[in-house]
Amino acid sequence: MATYTYTPVPDQGAKAGVLAYLVVSCVVLLLMMLFGLLMRMEQAQMISIGALWFYKIMTLHGAGMVGIVALAGAAIMWHFLRQYVDLSTGIFMANLILFLTGVVMILASVLLGDFHAAWTFLFPLPSTSMGMWSPGAAALFMGGLLVIGVGFVLLHLDIARAIISRYGGLGRGLGWPQLFGPDDGNAPPPAVVASTMVTIVNLVGLVAGASILVMMLVNLYVPSFEIDPLLAKGMIYFFGHVFINAVIYMAVIAVYEILPRYTQRPWKSNKVFLASWTASTIMVMFIFPHHLLMDYAFPKWFLIMGHIIGYLNTFPILIVTGYGAMMIVYRSGIRWDMCSRLLFVSLFGWAVGAMPAFIDGTITVNYVMHNTLWVPGHFHTYLLLGMVAMVFGFMYYLTKPNENAPDSALDIAAFWGFVIGTLGFTMSFLYSGKISAPRRYAEHLPEWVPYDKIASYFVILLIASVLVFIFRFLTRLGLASRDYQRASLARSMAT
Amino acid sequence: MIGSLSHHSGRSALALGAFYLLLATPIARDWLEASMSRHMLVQMPLLVVIGIIAARLVPVRVQDSLLIRFGGAWPCVIAAMFASSYWMLPRALDAALTDPWAEVAKFITLPFLVGFPLVLAWRRLTLIGRGFVWTNFFSMLAVLGWLYIVAPVRVCNSYLVNDQENAGWYMVIASVLLFFWWLGTLLVGGGVGPDKPDQGGSGGTFA
Repeated sequence: MATYTYTPVPDQGAKAGVLAYLVVSCVVLLLMMLFGLLMRMEQAQMISIGALWFYKIMTLHGAGMVGIVALAGAAIMWHFLRQYVDLSTGIFMANLILFLTGVVMILASVLLGDFHAAWTFLFPLPSTSMGMWSPGAAALFMGGLLVIGVGFVLLHLDIARAIISRYGGLGRGLGWPQLFGPDDGNAPPPAVVASTMVTIVNLVGLVAGASILVMMLVNLYVPSFEIDPLLAKGMIYFFGHVFINAVIYMAVIAVYEILPRYTQRPWKSNKVFLASWTASTIMVMFIFPHHLLMDYAFPKWFLIMGHIIGYLNTFPILIVTGYGAMMIVYRSGIRWDMCSRLLFVSLFGWAVGAMPAFIDGTITVNYVMHNTLWVPGHFHTYLLLGMVAMVFGFMYYLTKPNENAPDSALDIAAFWGFVIGTLGFTMSFLYSGKISAPRRYAEHLPEWVPYDKIASYFVILLIASVLVFIFRFLTRLGLASRDYQRASLARSMAT
Repeated sequence: MIGSLSHHSGRSALALGAFYLLLATPIARDWLEASMSRHMLVQMPLLVVIGIIAARLVPVRVQDSLLIRFGGAWPCVIAAMFASSYWMLPRALDAALTDPWAEVAKFITLPFLVGFPLVLAWRRLTLIGRGFVWTNFFSMLAVLGWLYIVAPVRVCNSYLVNDQENAGWYMVIASVLLFFWWLGTLLVGGGVGPDKPDQGGSGGTFA
């Protein structure tokens, strides 16, 4: 039986590359939030930008948010993983350059080419625009996604190389010898286990995504090469769902790495932890059919699989992480600051945000709820109050002036503004879903407008809070690259 | 020991040469080229494999000097990608059946411009390089298979549409199986390749 004791590790400053990732993330995240606000205000009839701009902004908001949370998650993963394995800075920067190239292509496609077929680019919409955009604009959008995907493939190949070199295989990176044999206490740390899982699932997802993107590019210019729309939808959702799921698995590394520094208790890579990550490695690749439950033409077994695995996959990592965090924090004498607050609340956001998806993953509920604002309610909760809170927690950790530095009243107010703003905004989504307000509609019926207005006010509160977070990060950026004690030691440990 | 190794290599080379000639016989060619699936997915890969084995029979120091003469790993990979891409074109398949010189070119280029340079390069590629080649190959094989399945016309004059569809499905299936094989090698830790490009490596694994 392995015993686990906490071994203090020094808080390392971030490499310039990590900071470049985070600065880009701040800028794009804020811009995408403003786009989101514009959409809600349009639905609330507070402004009038018109349907064309609504769908253009919706396309940018969707693609931009998926991309930028992946970038921010990659920064967290890379920062901590490189403390265990030898990662290539060149590949890390190549990914950023490819990402920015892809972003420029997507921006040009939408802003100059009027492409507005949503980030899901579902076949055959990109090639049947009825004159709303040119094939060139659609190709630029899909080409941009392809370029971003190539960058992430390179990043994950480098991570795979580094983990295999250090541990001898991705199976060992997942801790299989300790999971299936005696637990000798030498399982890889949680950061390595999570990175291994993300690398496996993202490589599979990105290869599928690259394939469907190339197929659609061929079809765009030679329409006689037809694509089965169901196959296309399946491949797009497989790639998209795996990719967006993976971002929270990258970001949760901040929780695994930082909370133990505050409480001076180890985050154990025990059998339960390893089993949950291995189970999710497999299940996360099979849950996407819960987005396809309304496509009755899919084989029944496929949809039932989505239902069952959707139920099963909701829990392993979430419970292991949530329970683990509570055990680490319980009676530890933790000193709450902006970083520890945000990381802890992120687990609440993740847990709460997963529940609407769990409910929507039930076939009979899905028939009624899936095309309503219920679904944006789900993913905005778990991404904003879960994943994005982890990113801001990480930023506060990097830029904390010293371990005893107090938080200003403005920061604390921003924290509560962030929590309340997100909850109010996402609850408005969920309630709108309950009253059957459809998703992706530029214009809303008068009965739905009050909830859109309420949502807009909460979004303004949320953006104001995020502005404080970003301002604090950017003004303290000089501290982020230095090595010094950041985490406030638990009261029982502090001298 | 060295003598026995050389003897062993000599016999292997002889067997390989015999197999190469066997593939070139009219009977083998007729049978393998009678169907698109056998032509693309049996004969052509076998020719590449002959190039791979031939390269492995060459002493390592000769491989190294050849690699330097060819300009390093990436020129070899790019040459292999271009040569293999050419033989994916339906027109090239037709030409191999109707023009004897094209058939000769196929028998020369697939072993010596695809298999051989890939082995030379492989020893110097890290997992990133190998992974890039593999992931590109899997996704492109699947897309090519799809193109053959959904093509509205007969892409080769020499083969029927149903043969073309079969070949397409085999390509899709092969790409999926190969992808999971490759992923499996990463999970159990085989075929890592050198950690740094300049560290050499055994080149004994494909993954």
